[in-house]
Amino acid sequence: MLDSISFFRIIKTGFVNFWRNWLLSSAATMVMTITLVIFAVLFLLFALTNYSIITIKDTIDVSVYFKHAAEEQQILSIKTELEQNSKIKRVDYTSALDALKNFRDKHANDPLITQSLNELNDNPLPATLNIKANKLEDYPEIADSLKNDRYDGFISEINFEDTRPIIERLNKILSFIITAGIILVVVFSLIAILVIYNTLTLTIYNRRQEVEIMRLVGATNGYIRGPFVVEALLYSFFATVITCLLVSPIFSNILPKIALFVNPGISVFNQNIFSFWILILLLFITSAILSVISTFLAIRKYLTV
Amino acid sequence: MIKFENVVKYYGNSKALDGVNLDIHHGEFISLVGMSGAGKTTMFKILLGEESVDRGKVLIDGIDISEVRKQDMPLLRRRIGMVFQDMKLLPARTAYENVSFAMEVCGFSRNIIEKDVPKILSIVGLGHKAKFFPDQMSGGEKQRLAIARALSHRPVLLLADEPTGNLDEINAGEVLELLLKINRLGTTVILATHAVELVNKIKKKVITVKDGKIVREQEIGKYNLTSS
Repeated sequence: MLDSISFFRIIKTGFVNFWRNWLLSSAATMVMTITLVIFAVLFLLFALTNYSIITIKDTIDVSVYFKHAAEEQQILSIKTELEQNSKIKRVDYTSALDALKNFRDKHANDPLITQSLNELNDNPLPATLNIKANKLEDYPEIADSLKNDRYDGFISEINFEDTRPIIERLNKILSFIITAGIILVVVFSLIAILVIYNTLTLTIYNRRQEVEIMRLVGATNGYIRGPFVVEALLYSFFATVITCLLVSPIFSNILPKIALFVNPGISVFNQNIFSFWILILLLFITSAILSVISTFLAIRKYLTV
Repeated sequence: MIKFENVVKYYGNSKALDGVNLDIHHGEFISLVGMSGAGKTTMFKILLGEESVDRGKVLIDGIDISEVRKQDMPLLRRRIGMVFQDMKLLPARTAYENVSFAMEVCGFSRNIIEKDVPKILSIVGLGHKAKFFPDQMSGGEKQRLAIARALSHRPVLLLADEPTGNLDEINAGEVLELLLKINRLGTTVILATHAVELVNKIKKKVITVKDGKIVREQEIGKYNLTSS
């Protein structure tokens, strides 16, 4: 166990070594910054793609169009029945009258459509039920359950078939992105460990005499390793700060534009795609873990006895 | 204090120590002599726990080194001071800092360090050079600084591996005089050397090592390479 004198000495020595070897410290910090920038960009891409897909998924539903002969009571009873299904998130009913009103409101500025509608005696629009499922993959089953004989007399059309290819493609894209993201993070973590390990090996090699003397005069392994760990944490801290400065323009300029393009009318920050603070914390934790692992590996051979 | 019991040590297929038996008592001054590669440095490395023995036992104050746990090895090393031919000083630190550094890593408090370092530096005759860097000192001064560092954690045993190897006659004499002074103050000293003149001059116990074996032990010895 380290006593308090040794603990404060380790912290102090770590800081002093960081400043005294500022050139090597800068190099190590830069290497870590490059790694973190790659991580941050990957993270942003992953989060943005994920968000885009979730947004697109949210616009997908199954629309059930009813025959004009179907009574509102019958439609509402089908709605209640559907709401019992655990795979269904929400069912919205739009009566034929509401559908016409919505249509008129939407095309209020188009005199040709308004005039055409006025010339019609009957409401051409049917009553509809919009069904949203909990999961993307449940849509085909829900659509199939509506093709039941019991509903034949009321339902004129189920529009799910139009969106089926889109849903299937989205599912494939999403699973590809998740797999690719995991592979990239693992590969970059290994590369980062190797690069940081080499940089730290250089730092430790540079001070091997100091390490040797410490060992010979009876310093414990924890005491010898301690200042290097403190230094590695300092590299992580400064690398995180620099990375945040580099990626913040992406947050403040580019990301909102992409988010608006994907889903007009929303703001990235208001919608909490993710918090910048969480990203900073994640970057620091990632770099701290990587650098501490690398320090332990790099100094191991100097502490063999 | 130190006991080697039938110690055998191999480096690959080559036998570095071949059945070494040795008994060193508290307060002794021993000159361990022999040609390069005779096994002197290996004996020191075993005492410091840097190398393990292949057969036999090495005891320090009754403790078998091979049974000391890895995490307790630093505590054993704090009882031993080591001086090297190449001194192993930190060039970027002053004489004062080279000594205080060794005390810091051993966990001495700031007060003790501030009190002890000037004392140790004056024992080795470097009181006036506390703020000098190693590069600003002569070979003899550097070696005396290395001895000061080895003494800083108050060891009961001082191992000096060819400390005069790189020094001229005058400086070598000064370093030897210093080692004798440390011995008079109560520290057991083992000096590994092949400097015939020095060993013959001090008239202390001489142990001669050849091809990994102890070939002669003389209470008031003379180093005679030809007869060994």
